[in-house]
Order: sequence, then C-alpha cells, then structure tokens
Amino acid sequence: MVKHLTKRNLKVRAVAFTIVTLLNLSIFSFNGLAQEAKLSAQAAEGEKLFKANCTSCHEMQNKATGPALAGVHNRRSEEWLLKWIRNNEAFRASGDKDAIAIFNEYNKVVMNNFESLTEDQVKSIITYFKEWTPPVKKKVEGGEGAESKTSFYSETTLYILGFLIVILMVVLYILRRTKNSLKKSYEEMSGETEEAAAPNEKMENLKKRINPTIFKMAIGMVVILALASYGFYFGVTEVAVQQGYAPEQPIKYSHKLHAGELQIDCKYCHSTAEKSKQASVPSVNTCMNCHKAVQLRDKYDGEISPEIKKIYAAMDYDAENQKYGDNPKPIKWIRIHNLPDHAFFNHSMHTKGAGVTCQTCHGPIQEMEVVQQYSTLQMGWCINCHRERKIDVENNPYYEELHEKIKAEKNNKNSEYGKYFTKDGKINITPAQNGGLECSKCHY
Amino acid sequence: MKKSIFIISALTIVSLSSCWWKAGGNDPGIEYAPDMYYSKGYEPMSQFSDSSKYRYNPYFMTMREPVEGTVAMGQLDYQYPYDNTPEGYEASAANSMNITLDEKDQLEGERLFAIYCSPCHGAQGGNDGAVSKKQAVLKPSWANYQDKYIQNLPIGKIYHVVTYGKNSMGSYAYALTPKERWSVATYVKRLSLMDSTGMVPPIQVINGIKGAAVVDTAAAAMPMNSTKSEPKKNK
Repeated sequence: MVKHLTKRNLKVRAVAFTIVTLLNLSIFSFNGLAQEAKLSAQAAEGEKLFKANCTSCHEMQNKATGPALAGVHNRRSEEWLLKWIRNNEAFRASGDKDAIAIFNEYNKVVMNNFESLTEDQVKSIITYFKEWTPPVKKKVEGGEGAESKTSFYSETTLYILGFLIVILMVVLYILRRTKNSLKKSYEEMSGETEEAAAPNEKMENLKKRINPTIFKMAIGMVVILALASYGFYFGVTEVAVQQGYAPEQPIKYSHKLHAGELQIDCKYCHSTAEKSKQASVPSVNTCMNCHKAVQLRDKYDGEISPEIKKIYAAMDYDAENQKYGDNPKPIKWIRIHNLPDHAFFNHSMHTKGAGVTCQTCHGPIQEMEVVQQYSTLQMGWCINCHRERKIDVENNPYYEELHEKIKAEKNNKNSEYGKYFTKDGKINITPAQNGGLECSKCHY
Repeated sequence: MKKSIFIISALTIVSLSSCWWKAGGNDPGIEYAPDMYYSKGYEPMSQFSDSSKYRYNPYFMTMREPVEGTVAMGQLDYQYPYDNTPEGYEASAANSMNITLDEKDQLEGERLFAIYCSPCHGAQGGNDGAVSKKQAVLKPSWANYQDKYIQNLPIGKIYHVVTYGKNSMGSYAYALTPKERWSVATYVKRLSLMDSTGMVPPIQVINGIKGAAVVDTAAAAMPMNSTKSEPKKNK
C-alpha cells in the first residue's frame, strides 16, 4: 500500500514537473516571438534582404570586410545610402567625397552593385538598420559559484571518501584488538582456555611427506615468477607508453567541433600530412582563414571568444582595426605523439602512399574534445598492422610496378611474385611480405 | 598479525600506484632512461629549452625562417607577379596558366577542392558547406558557382583569389603548390559550367576559355565520367 502510494506520488510529481517545464519553455519561446515582433513589417523584410545579400561582408556591430552597419543611418543620409548600395561604382565615379573616402579606408575592396534591389527594398533595409537594437547581454547569475555546481562529484569528494575509508579501517582494527585483548584477559581471569581444535590427520601426514626446504623453495619460485611476469608486463605496457596522454593545450581547440560537427577534412589544417614526414601542426594563418571573420561575438556578449583572442594574440592581430602587429608569439602547443629517435615514421608514405586514413592510428579524432594518444605507438603495434593490412596493389598507382610483376607470374604459383595469388585469383599481399618487416626500413 | 598488515598494505600500494604510472590527462606516465625520446637534434613540432640558442631560434622554436633572398629547392615556381591589392586582382585577369595539366592533375584538383574549398563552398560549389551554413560571414555574396559572376570570372582571377584570398576568404598558398592551385582553379571553372543534371563538363571545355592553358591532347581525349555529381546529403 505504502509502495503504491509513493509510486503514485512520484507519477504526480513527474507530471507536474513536465507541465511546469513546458510552461516555462512556452513562456520563453513567447518572449522570443515578442522580441522579433518589435520590428515593423518593412524592417522584417529588410532583415531578410540584409541576411541574404549583405552578411558575407557586413556585420552590425563589428568591422568585417566592410564597415559595421549599426547606426549607419545616422552617419549618412538615406539618399546617400540609396545611391551607394544600388551602384557604388557610379556613385564613386560621380566624385562624392565621402564615398571615395570610405572606399579608400577599406583597402579599396569593391562592393557589389545591388541594382537588382528596388528602391523600396533598399529602403526597407535602411528601416531595418534604424529599428535594429543590439542583442541583450546575458547576465551570468552567481558568477563563479554557478560553475562549481555543475560537477557534483569533484576530485576532493573522492579524496575525502578515501580518507574516511582509511579512518574507518583503523577504527575497525582498534576495536578488533580491544575485543581480542578483553577476551584474553577474561579468559585469564576465569582460567578457562578453549582447547585447540583437533589437528587434521591428513594434513599432518602430507606435511610429513614434503621436504620443507623444497616446499619453501617452490613457493619462493612461484612468488618470484609472479613478480617477474608482473614486472615484465608492466615494463612492456606501462613504461614510456603514453597511450591515453591527453594534455590540456594552450588553446582549447575542439576537434569534435571542427572535424566532427563542421566536417572539415583533417588535411585542411594538417596539410603536410600527404607531402612530408610530419603531419604539421597548422600555423596560425590557417586558423585565420576562418577566424579572421568568425569571432563568435554572439556567444560572448559582444566580446571576441577568449580562445579566438589567443589566436589574435599569437598573431599580434588587432581585430578592431584589422591590422597585424610586429610582435607575434607562437602558440606553444604540447606535443602528444612522440617517437624515439631510433624509430623512423613518415606520414606521407602512409597517407598518400598506402592510403591509410588518419583515424586508423589516431582513433576517432572527430569525437575528441581534447586530443589523446589513441594508439600505443609501440613496435608491436606497428608490426601488427604491417602483417595484417592488405596492400591494394590494383588501385594504388604507387604499387603499379609491383602489380605488373605479380600479374606477369600469375600462372606460376611457386614463383617469387606468383605466390601472392590466392585460389580465387585475387592478389593477397601484406606490407610484411613486401619488406615491411625489415629492420632497416624503420631503424637506421 | 603484523605480517598480514604489512602484506595487505604493500599490495594496496602496488595496486593503487599502478594507476599513477599510466599516462592520462596532463600526465605522460612514467619513463625509464628516456634519452632517445627527446632528440638532441632539433625535431619538427617541438621546442628546445637551451636559452643560449634563443638568438638564432626565437621563441625556442626548432625551426627557423628561411634566409632572406633564398628559395627552397624545387620551389622556384612560387613566383607570382601580381600584388595582393585590388589593382593586382584586376590585373590578374590577364594571367594564364603556364603549365599543362593532365587527367591526373584534374582528378587531384577535384580532391583538393573537396578538402580545402568544400567546407565553405560546398561539394558542388553551392556555397552550402557545413561551415558556411553555420557562419553566415563565411558565405559568399553570390549564390553558387553556376552564378554568372563565376562563369564570367577569368581563370587568372580565380587563381589570384586562391593564392591571396579575398574578403572573408583566406589564402591557400600555405597548402597548395602553384600547380595544385591551377588544378583547383580549373575545377572551379568546370563546376561553374555544370548543367542542371549535375554533370561537370570535361576538361576539353576549359580549352575554349580565354586564359586557360592548352591541356594535353591525349589527356583531354579521356572521358571524365568520374566527375558525375552525387548530391551530398548533409546531416
């Protein structure tokens, strides 16, 4: 009965909770609607046109390719704007001083002529400028305190728990000792002693038969073997194997966002992976390809994202004036994958030559928020792949010569190259069979 | 009693410490005699700590900038006569491809387009890449490559933009060699002539375009069926 009641109670609560959340949501969405509804119909039309035609070069609050457009209706007359937007080239040619000045200020980047827009359409865009209000700044409540709420189980909780366990164990031990000593003293006082249990005869016989020295030695051997195998296992899998190493980098660059969500190819940034021994860490100008324009100000209350600011600091780039300074400071990325000097590895041989994908060795990078070393990078790991992977000799131009040689000896199964044909007439050759296990291929 | 306590504590220490040895987070794990892990010779992608060499390798970088006035081996084709200015952009219309591209280079152009251009310009030049969809600033002002603007754009100007960048677009000279840039520019030109069924015209078409170089006749004769488009579905 009680159980039944509590269950019902829970259900009622759950229903009430969902209703409240739904209400909240609807109120919020209603708020959103109300804000948008502030724009007049003409301005809403202008917003549409603005987003379709202007946003690739203009932002409202910040300089992009062109100037920021907030308050532009105060700086220029409507007539001026109409002329400029519809045909700025002709307007400049007509000798308007302001037009020529702004053209020169923005490095003479030519703005498209929008003669396709009617005068009314341009006017509606200007109305949008007039009615536009900066987005309301979100206030973070609680400041720093709000952040700590997010993780209930912090590391300190773990330490405290461990400490408690130790204390409890000590208490238990002390209690046990007191109990034993009390028992002993009681026995002494009362003079009663329990007789030892009757010895097991079989065990006694067994003990007599075994030579104690040999017995001890055997046990010693087992212990030593166990310790040695543990030591060997430890040495092989733990010492200097950095699998799982995931250091915090100076910039919190997320591969999950860039490679996963935005589907940017690995080679966009690591462009030398196909051309050189190293898959280079991109220089900052690769970041600037997008982040010169993408500053995520909408997420940080009109400020540039703090991580993107670090890119600008490394470049000594002044985002407000769009100028580069003379004092760049390279970002000190922390190296994760490291091979010892005596091992040779070449990225281009594996990516361009053999067609191995990046994920084969580096794991699901597109899902990693912080990059970690996915593979062990041990020799056994290298060799394993060289033994198991099949070379695609037929479709890979790099192996054209080998393919010809194998094809030429198709009918001679025992020849040097003919042996790679399987029974069903396919070529089966691994890197190991093609010299991928020779010591000097990687160690020289 | 004492013995058992000792053994138990020793075992717990061993089992606990095995976690400490493992690499994870900021900890690279333990190393034994790691002399060859940290190269004496300078390796790429690493920094050194000897401050006496700071003068020659600023910021503790292991690489140096090339000496002024020198050209790396095999990189002589880096030279490009037009400046990164609006005037240079206009002047580059007269530039024409000074190399010949065969069929392999054309396929390479398509592959490189997918890597470096498609994040913003989309797989078929529809300006519908995953990045430009999310960030309006990176979406070009013209609709797609089949726009009259791109169709009439001289190939020299396309090459100029790939080399220096324009407006919100950055330079791609860091990743693409001049030959690769030309093959990408040719592919852009071919994409602009794509018909409504999604067929990208073969490279012979490029021959008819002013400013494009003559393509190998043997290569031009090869059919380019592989370029038939498959509209990419975005998640």
